[in-house]
Amino acid sequence: MADTETLQIKNVHKTFRVGKQDIDVLEDINLNVSAGEFVSVIGASGCGKTTFLRLLVGLEGEYQGDILLNGKRLNGPSINRGIVFQNHRLLPWLTIEKNVGLGLESKKGNNKAQIVQDHIDLVGLKGFCKSYPYQLSGGMSQRAAIARALVNRPEILLLDEPLGALDSLTRMYMQNELERIWKLENITAVMVTHDVEEAVYLSDRIVIMSCRPGKIKRIIPVPLSRPRDRASYDFMRIKEEVLKEFHLQAEEHFAYSI
Amino acid sequence: MNYLDYVSRKISDVYSKSIVLLIIFAAWWLVGAYKLADPTILPPPSKILRTLLELAKEGDLVFHIKMSILRVIKGFLIGGTLGFVLGILMGLSKTAEKLVGPLFHAVRQVPLLGWMPLIVLWCGIGETSKVVFIAIGALYPMVLNTFEGVRGISREYLEVARVFEFKQLKLITTIILPAALPNILTGVRFSLTISWMLVVGAEIFSVSAGGLGDMIWSARDTFRMDIVIVGLIIITLIGITLSKSVKLLETYFLQWRKTSH
Amino acid sequence: MRRQIMESAGIQRLFAAVTTLLPAQPAAEAISTSFKLQTPSISRVAIPQVVKTALLGGLIPLLLLVAWEAVTRIELVPSQLLVPPRQVLATFLDLLNSGELQGHLKISILRVLLGFSLGTSAGFLVGAILGLSKRAEKYGGPFFRVLLQIPILGWMPFLLLILGFGELFKIVFISLGAFYPMTLNTFEGIKGVSNEYREVGRVFEFGRLKLLRKIILPAAVPSIFTGIRLGLGTAWMLIVGAELVAATEGVGYMMTMGRQLFQMDVVMVGVVLVGATGYLMNHILKIAEQRLLHWRNTMHA
Repeated sequence: MADTETLQIKNVHKTFRVGKQDIDVLEDINLNVSAGEFVSVIGASGCGKTTFLRLLVGLEGEYQGDILLNGKRLNGPSINRGIVFQNHRLLPWLTIEKNVGLGLESKKGNNKAQIVQDHIDLVGLKGFCKSYPYQLSGGMSQRAAIARALVNRPEILLLDEPLGALDSLTRMYMQNELERIWKLENITAVMVTHDVEEAVYLSDRIVIMSCRPGKIKRIIPVPLSRPRDRASYDFMRIKEEVLKEFHLQAEEHFAYSI
Repeated sequence: MNYLDYVSRKISDVYSKSIVLLIIFAAWWLVGAYKLADPTILPPPSKILRTLLELAKEGDLVFHIKMSILRVIKGFLIGGTLGFVLGILMGLSKTAEKLVGPLFHAVRQVPLLGWMPLIVLWCGIGETSKVVFIAIGALYPMVLNTFEGVRGISREYLEVARVFEFKQLKLITTIILPAALPNILTGVRFSLTISWMLVVGAEIFSVSAGGLGDMIWSARDTFRMDIVIVGLIIITLIGITLSKSVKLLETYFLQWRKTSH
Repeated sequence: MRRQIMESAGIQRLFAAVTTLLPAQPAAEAISTSFKLQTPSISRVAIPQVVKTALLGGLIPLLLLVAWEAVTRIELVPSQLLVPPRQVLATFLDLLNSGELQGHLKISILRVLLGFSLGTSAGFLVGAILGLSKRAEKYGGPFFRVLLQIPILGWMPFLLLILGFGELFKIVFISLGAFYPMTLNTFEGIKGVSNEYREVGRVFEFGRLKLLRKIILPAAVPSIFTGIRLGLGTAWMLIVGAELVAATEGVGYMMTMGRQLFQMDVVMVGVVLVGATGYLMNHILKIAEQRLLHWRNTMHA
């Protein structure tokens, strides 16, 4: 079991210094993510879930405990981890092609153009290579951002509320797309979200975080076959279970829906 | 402990802020002390101080400052008022904007100093030409900012007025002017700062009796670099004071902005 | 610290006003529509909007022209003070045919280009260093803040004493004019680069140089371009000023001579020429800006 685990998070603590006070943001986080697994982290806003993800990216600096990727302790950002931010963060002065190619800047080799093209095709943006970000809709921009994150063939894909800025219809559609890409690339993924349905739809396991300080409250497995049916009984049941953790379960609604 | 922390932070703050200025000042002083440069070109700091005191004692300085400030006030009042009226008119009425706008923007393309020879021909080299010159400079920012302020008022406020069935005059005094006030005050600040810069130019470009610009310009004729530097320092200090005081005025007048946000 | 430098951004907007080169922002139409001071009844006849706007805009200049002609016809003011419009046009053509106009214009533009490129380069360098290095900002910031508070015109006697009346004075004076706005805008542009973009660079393991080349500079280009435009505007204003007092050729000199010889027509030609050239230079830069920064075009629409 242990050797298939790509990501190991052991006793991670993170404190921020605000003025003269130390504030605990994350406390005693323990989590193992296996290769090819899709794990979602869900929690109320301000519970440290974004800090958690930024630690995995390597953008938050020092932390206590260990975050190991294939046995190596994380220390700063690296191109072996792909990241999709909430706002696509495409550089507005570069074409989609150049944006996606950013990750290959430091690499040698003459098939770079082909790799970029393949990834643009993968996310379904064929024909938009020479477009600029302002010419793309929100969903398309996020597709480009996913392509940019995958172009280095990273060991793990990190997603920080990647669909949070989209309208709900586009979001559902993009969830399907995300699932398709994840399966096709066969990549380990960790996603932070505040959308319960999104978490249930995409994840193998859902990590629920509690607030102040951010702690793992519970881990809920989602043993449903894919593609998942949002209206199925099992789907609803798991959704209710997650909501219950936030004291938001709608019991009556559940009763009627039987 | 905390107090010590605070004090040491303050000290390092002041240190970093002043160290480069101090080094430059020290270098200047050393150059003067060891006579490394021609003192008529770079008089030592002590000479500057002596000149400053001399000018202050003889009343020259006060006279020049008074002349310059009077001109600025006259020019600013004329140009600023005209600009305010023009800006309000253009802001309120599309027709007025279309009538005056193109001419205004065409005239605006002429660099301010380019007007100088024409003004001098028309108004002579006396007081009038300087005041007119300053007034032109004060006019532009006032028109632009007032216009923007009036045009930028959100439709929501105007709808409030319509709900209450305000008459036009009341609409102007209760909604439009207060809502445009931030921009108008910015216009005042820019107008004043430009006026202050232009009075120096006006006093240089049209031979004049008195004024800080005249002071440094005639000092150039007599190779008195010390007076030039004293003048520059005074001009800069007054300029900073002017814009700082209008800023204070802005924060005072716009207190409602703080609470409403 | 930083905020205090940012406050000097006021100066930068001031430049916009002094050089009169920033356009008035297109503003909401809300007010005028709520007012009844609308276009009078010409609107009954179906005149295209463009023609109407042109007619209205041309009305006052036309009236002024007619009044001007009338005043000179009946000799209301001495002809020394107001020459008829025809004579201004004739003088313009004379100056053009003799090549005098082009000669003065050429020398002024050459001076501006030289001073402008020097001042802009220096401003870019200083602004970039202050913007990129925290330490440079901490120690050098206060010095430049004080420096940029000195009114540019005040430098004139100072520089004349050091450099004399020659070309060097004009070039240095003009480059100071370009230096001020360029320093401020480069600094602000670099400081304003969003941390979000910087993080993208970190994620892809960009080194310092690559981060600068690929992320920080492109992101700061819009602000830097504003600095270039304001710098050129200020430089153009200052060359006219410098030539008014210290030159034997150039547009400013032409105007001074015209004033001293009471050649009203020459002075008026000069005013229009100076305005038109300034407008043209700004316009060229604007077109270049639009080309270069097309990626943000629709973002602002």
